[in-house]
Amino acid sequence: MNSVNEVKDCLAEQQYIATDEIATVLFLADKLGKPVLAEGPAGVGKTELGKAWAAAAERELIRLQCYEGLDETKALYEWEYAKQLLYTQLLRDKLSDLLTGTQTLSQAADRLAGEEDVFFSERFLLPRPLLRAIHSDKPSLLLIDEIDRSDAEFEAFLLEVLSDFQVSVPELGTFKAKHHPLVVLTSNNTRELSEALKRRCVYIYIDYPTADAELRIVRLKVPDLNPALAKQAVELVQRLRRMDLKKQPSVSETLDWAKALLLLNAKSIDRQTLERTLTVLVKHESDVMRARRGLDRPAPSVEDDEDDGLDDLGPAIRRIPYPPRNK
Amino acid sequence: MDDRIIAFIAGLRAAGVRVSLAETEDAMKATAHMGVTDRNAFKTALKTTLIKERADEPIYETLFPLYFGSGGPPLLQPQDSLTPDQMEMLRAALRALAGDLGELLRKLSQGLAPSREELERIARQMGLDRPRRGQNQQWLTREMLRRLGMQDLLDQIERLLQQLAQMGMSAEGLQKMREILDANREALEGQVKQFVGQTLARQLSAQPPQKMDGQDLMHRPFNSLTESEARELRKQVSRLAARLRAKASLRQKHGKGPTLDAKRTIRANVRFGGVPFDIRHKRRHLKPKLAIICDVSTSMRQVVDFLLRLVYEMQDQIAKARSFAFIDHVEEISDEFTAGRPDVAVPKVLHQIPPGYYNTDLGSSLDQFTHDYFDSVDNRTTIIVVGDGRNNYNDPRLDRFEEIKRRARRLLWMNPEPVFEWGTGDSDMLQYAPLCDSVHQVSNLAELTAAVEHLFEGR
Repeated sequence: MNSVNEVKDCLAEQQYIATDEIATVLFLADKLGKPVLAEGPAGVGKTELGKAWAAAAERELIRLQCYEGLDETKALYEWEYAKQLLYTQLLRDKLSDLLTGTQTLSQAADRLAGEEDVFFSERFLLPRPLLRAIHSDKPSLLLIDEIDRSDAEFEAFLLEVLSDFQVSVPELGTFKAKHHPLVVLTSNNTRELSEALKRRCVYIYIDYPTADAELRIVRLKVPDLNPALAKQAVELVQRLRRMDLKKQPSVSETLDWAKALLLLNAKSIDRQTLERTLTVLVKHESDVMRARRGLDRPAPSVEDDEDDGLDDLGPAIRRIPYPPRNK
Repeated sequence: MDDRIIAFIAGLRAAGVRVSLAETEDAMKATAHMGVTDRNAFKTALKTTLIKERADEPIYETLFPLYFGSGGPPLLQPQDSLTPDQMEMLRAALRALAGDLGELLRKLSQGLAPSREELERIARQMGLDRPRRGQNQQWLTREMLRRLGMQDLLDQIERLLQQLAQMGMSAEGLQKMREILDANREALEGQVKQFVGQTLARQLSAQPPQKMDGQDLMHRPFNSLTESEARELRKQVSRLAARLRAKASLRQKHGKGPTLDAKRTIRANVRFGGVPFDIRHKRRHLKPKLAIICDVSTSMRQVVDFLLRLVYEMQDQIAKARSFAFIDHVEEISDEFTAGRPDVAVPKVLHQIPPGYYNTDLGSSLDQFTHDYFDSVDNRTTIIVVGDGRNNYNDPRLDRFEEIKRRARRLLWMNPEPVFEWGTGDSDMLQYAPLCDSVHQVSNLAELTAAVEHLFEGR
């Protein structure tokens, strides 16, 4: 891909609407050979970006989902003990053939040692995502999802892989990447990532899309939904995001909602439809209450967008009496 | 251009953004790929390679135009829109009013702006090359425009237009002339604003980067910190946390220890015909599970702020943390902390629970805690109470406190007051203290760190 616009068009073909900023960052990451670190609230399409990019660049997608306690054996490689054991069992006869004619124990051990490459070969190596990305014959894209959930030690281990794109397996030697994989790391920012990791990446913060961009996404992903309804839906979601909610509705939830509206054959977003489907957008009980109360107010006009009044709602509700104290 | 980028990076560093040498190199390469023709692409290229934290973005957005500004909008040239006759008339009018018109209007009406040397001369007169505190861009811009003779400009424009009208210029010509002069006046303002911004930015990048040394601040009591010192110290917290984390995770590793878990080993090795290939060890639950109960009355806010920051930074070393805030009643604030970073979360929490006068009521807060949030406490939970134990002569509810202690694994108390003040006045600290597993005095960050370290020792 030779220009930013080309990146953008390719992503659009994969049904991913990229802003100029996203396209520029991907373009640069490709040119500089650096991993992309995408941060932002949950559900704005960070993972989707990785998938779309893989498809756009026609690369195989290799995904590594991070979680607490993830370690090298799950991320890099593992010896397949069971298979080794099975082979030893099945080859027992061959082994005794091999060892016939040896006089002493040490002679037998020497002869066996000559064959040990059989048991520590790539045949018995179970490649995990990182090794697969490095070892792959075809160019690949490595998506390391939710890196902030892994432990700090794993992050440090990852540094080595990401800077040199090589991995050493003590029994076999060093594997060097045949093709430099593209790397996308995503983070929901639940903890601070280390400076060292950030330094090695190009960084992008993906925020909730603007109303226009979100409408385009809805129109693209749920094309059957009536355009006027889609517009109304997006406006409502954008209003919800301005409220002081525990969890704001994400883009994926907007899409779920749009699909729900389509299935319910809604003509317009009236009170009843909203009551029935609000839980698709808002997932906390207290948020549902707050959203209802907020949406009951007349929609703010576009001019006084800033002074919505809804933002002040949070503390107001909190000041409503808490359970009586029992002395 | 490279020099400009280097100066820009120096400016970013001076403003407190951490930019490493490797990142500088990336920025250079990236801009080489993007070229400088598309301003937005250029801006994104620098941003993605230099700015690695959301919090630094505003700094980037303010500094970028100062270093890569176009020098301000260009001035309109009168000969582009006026006919030759009208130009002649303008020249004649300027000659006629020679004595009365200022230098500035003469230039603007011919589409000329004050030269850079001239601006620099004025800047020197204003002492702009020796920066002082409290000078801001807006004020300096206004002052500079005043010195250029901006005030009289409007009157003078009217004079010139009158003169042109007398000389018989058409209404349409006059209208055009007015538009040109107005546009040029605004353009000049823009140029001066850019000039001032660039000058300030140059001074900024010439300053050495802020020193990140907070050792002496660590031992300064929380309640005597100024706002800027507190800000400085908050930056320290993440470095501190990194150190603590290294220690804690080392313990974690050693903790994986030698105790064989026979049950799990047998189960894991069934597939190998019972030959123990895959040895499993007993895992001790070393990651503490926390419930933090914070007094957020005014005197306590600094301590709570720092403790919550530390806990947030250490989140990967903690199995589960729930936090509660009280003044006269308890409220859970965990959600605020899991959703956002402490920079956002702490002020939000403190804003939501407004302090009152002498309304702290620990006793009834404890009572309410045992009623509403007792599910957060089990035999693996370490409870930390952060407070001064000053109860406003309310019932301390020691029975509830004991109940909590019985149910929890450990009960820690962190108190910012010096020990000799405990038990004086309305303090019930001496009654609570014997019931705690350990009590820490945490009047400064060093003591707070020691207390948190103790927490991870797992005794």
